[in-house]
Amino acid sequence: MPAFHLFFLGDDAVAVQPNDRALRHPLAKALRDSGEWIDTVPGKEVVAVHFDPLALRPTEAMGKLEDWLSSFRAGAFEPGRPIDLHLDCSADHAPDLQTLADQNGLTPHTLLERVTGSELVVDMLGFTPGFAYVEGLDPTLKAERLAVPRQKVMAGAVGLVSGQLGFYGLTGPGGWPIIGRLTETLFDPERAAPFLLEEGQVVRLHLVDV
Amino acid sequence: MSFKVLKPGVQATLQAAPRSGTRHLGVPASGPADGLSMALANRLVGNPSDACAIEMPFGLVSLEASTDCAIAFAGAPAVIELAGNNAPMHRTLYIRAGETVSVGAAEIGARFYMAVSGGFLADDFLGSASTCLPAMVGGLRGRALQAGDCLGTGEQEPSFDELETPENMLQAFTHAFALRCVDGPDAELIPGWESGQDYEATRRADRTGIEISGSWPPLTDAGLKPSAPVFPGTVQLTPSGNAFVLLPDSQTTGGYPHVLQVIRADRHLLGQIRPGDRIHFLKRTPDEAATDLRRKTAYFRDWLPDLSL
Repeated sequence: MPAFHLFFLGDDAVAVQPNDRALRHPLAKALRDSGEWIDTVPGKEVVAVHFDPLALRPTEAMGKLEDWLSSFRAGAFEPGRPIDLHLDCSADHAPDLQTLADQNGLTPHTLLERVTGSELVVDMLGFTPGFAYVEGLDPTLKAERLAVPRQKVMAGAVGLVSGQLGFYGLTGPGGWPIIGRLTETLFDPERAAPFLLEEGQVVRLHLVDV
Repeated sequence: MSFKVLKPGVQATLQAAPRSGTRHLGVPASGPADGLSMALANRLVGNPSDACAIEMPFGLVSLEASTDCAIAFAGAPAVIELAGNNAPMHRTLYIRAGETVSVGAAEIGARFYMAVSGGFLADDFLGSASTCLPAMVGGLRGRALQAGDCLGTGEQEPSFDELETPENMLQAFTHAFALRCVDGPDAELIPGWESGQDYEATRRADRTGIEISGSWPPLTDAGLKPSAPVFPGTVQLTPSGNAFVLLPDSQTTGGYPHVLQVIRADRHLLGQIRPGDRIHFLKRTPDEAATDLRRKTAYFRDWLPDLSL
């Protein structure tokens, strides 16, 4: 039986934390489809809804959400189409690869084999346009965020922290150790479909020879 | 109808109504950092509150008009020069084809808004004309203004009404900000933060956020949690010992502890904080904050009936 913990994120947003993480995506989709909320944003553990407190007082918003959840039934979540992406791990594009390999007692090559051999899936988009949080990474690979974030990480860079990869959609600041760069463009506002990836999508990662 | 940019200032951008329904794609709302000042400028030229206007951090912008039209300035106090003469802020101004308007530097407050009758024309991205600098979308090709740019404006007959912002609608500009806020979901990490407050904005400030140094309690662990949704007004505590308050171009999810949330009624003030300004936080409950928003919106209703903070 799904259970939900609700809490405020301020005066115009409420977060819902389901007891089963897998419920986040069908929950977010159903909340978005309801048309009742300005924004519906999944995180790694919660889904937040954003509302206008002029139209709906915060306690009313929370009550409305509680009522709605009491009749929520998760449908089957349709995984998106699998996608093949290509990773360039040449030195310029993988500034932290050697350090991460050393920390894990592996060679860069064996570390990358464990990455590409993982059953990767896009958990969610967020952070900045086109950024994807990708789960399913071999759990034996350990990595922590950089103590001092980089001012400039290139668009397409692939970061690795324990349990997940982060695909950077834009060039900008970032704090994940970088192991390579995708040859595909994740976010292009000029494209008919600006976002290459979608949540739930299976990712097959291939190393490119350079 | 258009304006030519002679001096582009420091990261001046076109801003209009914020985006909605795009945060799950990582796309921020953008829109004006001080929506109240932009609304006041638009009102003076007969536009809706969120018509596309130029946001100018710290001023220092010069434009040349190609046709006669009505313009107006609001926001941080600055010297306006129109066709070689000083001109007031907060009043409808008429500029003729070939004339130049220049904005000086702000000494207090951080952002000015220039509105034009009919609004500026801008690129739409996902339903909004607002520039999002990190993603390089909206506004003028997604970037800040540059010398030589030509800014188109919407067709609108100037009304020839001479308007002035009512005295009681003018914001007071100071170097000290009292920001009302409610607990963030990680508020338990800063017990007793209300006593002995001593906070200051640092030089790390732009449309994505402002760093706030001062008497934050130290974080006991690494200070990271699973990435969670964040919004403009979110105050995150970082392992550096400083906090960041998020602005309209901020990221949509983040892993630093979310300790406070500046209430919607006071978020427009964030756009006017400059480096070195003092900040004081005042605690509210969510429902008290909603009442604050109703009161503030009602206060401006006669003059700005469509104001959305």
